[in-house]
Amino acid sequence: MKNTLPLEPLEHRGLRKSIVLRRHTMITIQHMGKVKIKPCFSLQRQLASVHRTGGAVRWMSRNRPAPLLTAAPVRAIIDEPISIKGQFLPPYSPVTFCARLHCDDGDLWEAFAHYNTKADGTVNLTRDHSVGGSYLGCEPMGLFWGLQPAPGGREGLRLRKKNVQTPYVMHISLWDGHVSSCERQSTELAAVTAERWYMAPGVKRIEIRQNGIVGTLFLPPGPGPFPAMLDLWGMGGGLPEYRSALFASRGYASLSLAYIGHKDLPGPHNSLNVGDLYFKSAFQLLQGLPQVCADRVGVIGLSFGVYLALRIATQCSVKPSCLICINGPVGSTVKLRNKDGMTEPNDIDPKYWTCDHRGYVGFREVSLPANLHPESKVKVENINCPLMYIVGEDDLSASSKENAYLIEEGLRAAGKSHLFTQLSYHGAGHLIEPPYTPNSRASLWSVKPKKLITLWGGHLAPHAVAQEDAWKKILDFVENNLRR
Amino acid sequence: MSQAAAPPVLCVAPSRALVDEKITVLVENLPPGSPVTVRSHHHSDDQDDWEAYAHYVSDHRGVVSVSDDMSFGGTYSGVEPMGLLWSLRPVPGSRTGLRLRKKNVCTPLLFHISVHSGHEGFRERPPLASALIERWYVAPGVQRIDVSERGVRGTLFLPPGPGPFPGVLDMWGGGGGLHEYRAALLACHGYVALALEYFKPGELKSTDLEYSYFETAFNLIQEHPRVMADRVGILGLSLGSSLALSLAAESKTVQPRACICIGSNHCSGRSLSGSPMVLITNPEGMRVDENNHHIWRDMALSILEDESKLVDVGKMSCPLMVVNGADDQNWPSTEMADDITRRMRAAGKEHLLTRLEYPDAGHLIEPPFSPHFRATNFMVPGRQKVILLWGGQTKPHSDAQEDSWRKILSFLQQHLYGNQCPKAKL
Repeated sequence: MKNTLPLEPLEHRGLRKSIVLRRHTMITIQHMGKVKIKPCFSLQRQLASVHRTGGAVRWMSRNRPAPLLTAAPVRAIIDEPISIKGQFLPPYSPVTFCARLHCDDGDLWEAFAHYNTKADGTVNLTRDHSVGGSYLGCEPMGLFWGLQPAPGGREGLRLRKKNVQTPYVMHISLWDGHVSSCERQSTELAAVTAERWYMAPGVKRIEIRQNGIVGTLFLPPGPGPFPAMLDLWGMGGGLPEYRSALFASRGYASLSLAYIGHKDLPGPHNSLNVGDLYFKSAFQLLQGLPQVCADRVGVIGLSFGVYLALRIATQCSVKPSCLICINGPVGSTVKLRNKDGMTEPNDIDPKYWTCDHRGYVGFREVSLPANLHPESKVKVENINCPLMYIVGEDDLSASSKENAYLIEEGLRAAGKSHLFTQLSYHGAGHLIEPPYTPNSRASLWSVKPKKLITLWGGHLAPHAVAQEDAWKKILDFVENNLRR
Repeated sequence: MSQAAAPPVLCVAPSRALVDEKITVLVENLPPGSPVTVRSHHHSDDQDDWEAYAHYVSDHRGVVSVSDDMSFGGTYSGVEPMGLLWSLRPVPGSRTGLRLRKKNVCTPLLFHISVHSGHEGFRERPPLASALIERWYVAPGVQRIDVSERGVRGTLFLPPGPGPFPGVLDMWGGGGGLHEYRAALLACHGYVALALEYFKPGELKSTDLEYSYFETAFNLIQEHPRVMADRVGILGLSLGSSLALSLAAESKTVQPRACICIGSNHCSGRSLSGSPMVLITNPEGMRVDENNHHIWRDMALSILEDESKLVDVGKMSCPLMVVNGADDQNWPSTEMADDITRRMRAAGKEHLLTRLEYPDAGHLIEPPFSPHFRATNFMVPGRQKVILLWGGQTKPHSDAQEDSWRKILSFLQQHLYGNQCPKAKL
């Protein structure tokens, strides 16, 4: 059972906005002891960190080298766990692990955890228990899913990789004692850098702008043909690529499809201006690729993408081989303006929005079955392929449980229960994404016409469990339905 | 719904690894009991093509697992999880005498792993599936620094983190030049490592190097702000081994914490240009094999009779690891290792010695999973090119590389990171 910490953000300590690697300065390192430092190299690369000499620490004796910190594998795909170990530490001693990451926008994300070394002077995150910090207990990947925006940063952040062709670079360091503000309160003992990639070597990324279709295609290496996944995100719009990139790294061709809020789509940006024909064309484009097995194409949707996935399966005269639905409705949450599925603008009717004491908006009730636009409700009885529905029980953005129930009942009434699988995760929120990335319980939804922060729900630790388990089950599900 | 059979799936993991890490290669979704060939291909920085391949038969589930299944032939046979890497050799039609050595360690080695149907003539058929993997000499965060200080030339690799770290002086052999890859790999394991250049290829005779060059190089490492001055070791191969032993046993200013010699060579390294290495221009004792490849091992045997030409290893005061291949055709490393052992025993220092000798391994014992080179091009003094026979058979040589690297890392860790002193055996 995972333990959780209270949800208040890390205490604001008036730290500088972001503590970045000192990439651009030459630093003279102070050494304790008798040896004078001569500037002895014409350094052509920058030094990566600074010793502080404040505070006598047993580490800085001349008798022993720094402890050794290792991470394996140092370059991994984002859904691969890594094992982090420290050795040559004093026994039964308190240490703090810190993880830091600069996202593509430059914001700093951090996590930390307190451990006590064992009798042999080692600490091993796959074996030992955190006794404090961003997570508690034995959590090998806690430093990754436990990342939170650093104090003093911008408000309402969500960690999403924009550029999938570069890795996340995580700086993991080990500090003396149990501290929460590593640089201020302690001495750095050791560090290691790990890369986390969405794209495996050989995966190809291809921008698609043809026949009006706006998307990004990812192809696994090799001749193929490959099974494929059409990938749909939510009403936030744009074109997130990372889940598709990851599918390709796992051997599935994948097309991430934009449908709203993208500069290459017909405007205005807050309404759905593409209809059934658009989604049908995208599905058929994917099917028709020489690298794709035409009869092995599935659809995955999150949030509003669930409704679109169901609509593709029932109204667009294409035949997906399987459907994966994460936390989304069976009908549109925005009024349709024609029978092809295009909608009115999304933000004219906030009547179902709720607001908490901080002014954060919850969209959950918008997708209660009774509040969905009836003419848009998908006829689930017409679904003919296996469907997996994933529920985050603490979803504050969509009425996932209720919609899952509707789908289940609709299939049961049509004698198609065997097609339906449901996964339900206690404590997980709306944004059930690939594993080992942090959940944002709330984040910025819009800046215009006014700044809105929306609630997604989910508590850090159980949400991390959900992401790890759901991704494994998603991969098994597509393997069984698209490969066999 | 009926579907055409899905094509086979090839999964190689990890897709990005360090060169001394193992990979698993799994092929699934094959028809049961079907013959396939798994191939790896590498296009080197020098524009040569290297390949390895092996013939397998899938099991009842349609799976081939390179880690568990037997290869029935190819560039290796039997159960060899890493065979697709260590059995790599130039493709038919390549130039002769090639050796694969990465010059630019900041980029990875790229390998294309592919699965082809059938055994005979597999190359004529397009692959059923393929994958790309990266193998790196540097880990993220390792820094590479060009060194040109007090006359010393080389490249320094620093692990990430504040340190202080133990250090290693890394020296290659009589081929000369600057080879960074082993030092880079040592930095991945937590050592500040200096790859030292001490002469350019073919210029050994005219090199004016003094012994003090090596002492200065060692001191440079010691003085680095992130190095523990009393925990610097030396690793040398071939001629580098002779230099390492000279420094460890005879230098008054340099005291390595540990010493590793590959291709055991305890010829006195006091002066390079006067070194016994210039014997190589002496035709006496030199043989050639049936391919006209030079065998140098006998030329140096006479040195063993001349005390003045040998390092007095009895004066060693630090732990020493001596690694050699029994089929070394370039240097009489077995005889030399025997002599080192005798001398250290006579001086009561045998407890400092760890000796690793590998049957059927050759001279060039390198980091693991790199291909075996039985004979390669070499530039002798006067900038002439010959083909030198290094010796070794591929499989036992590769086993030697894998085993010795693990033991070298463990030896370095024990003596440079750990706290015990080597105890005399009772």
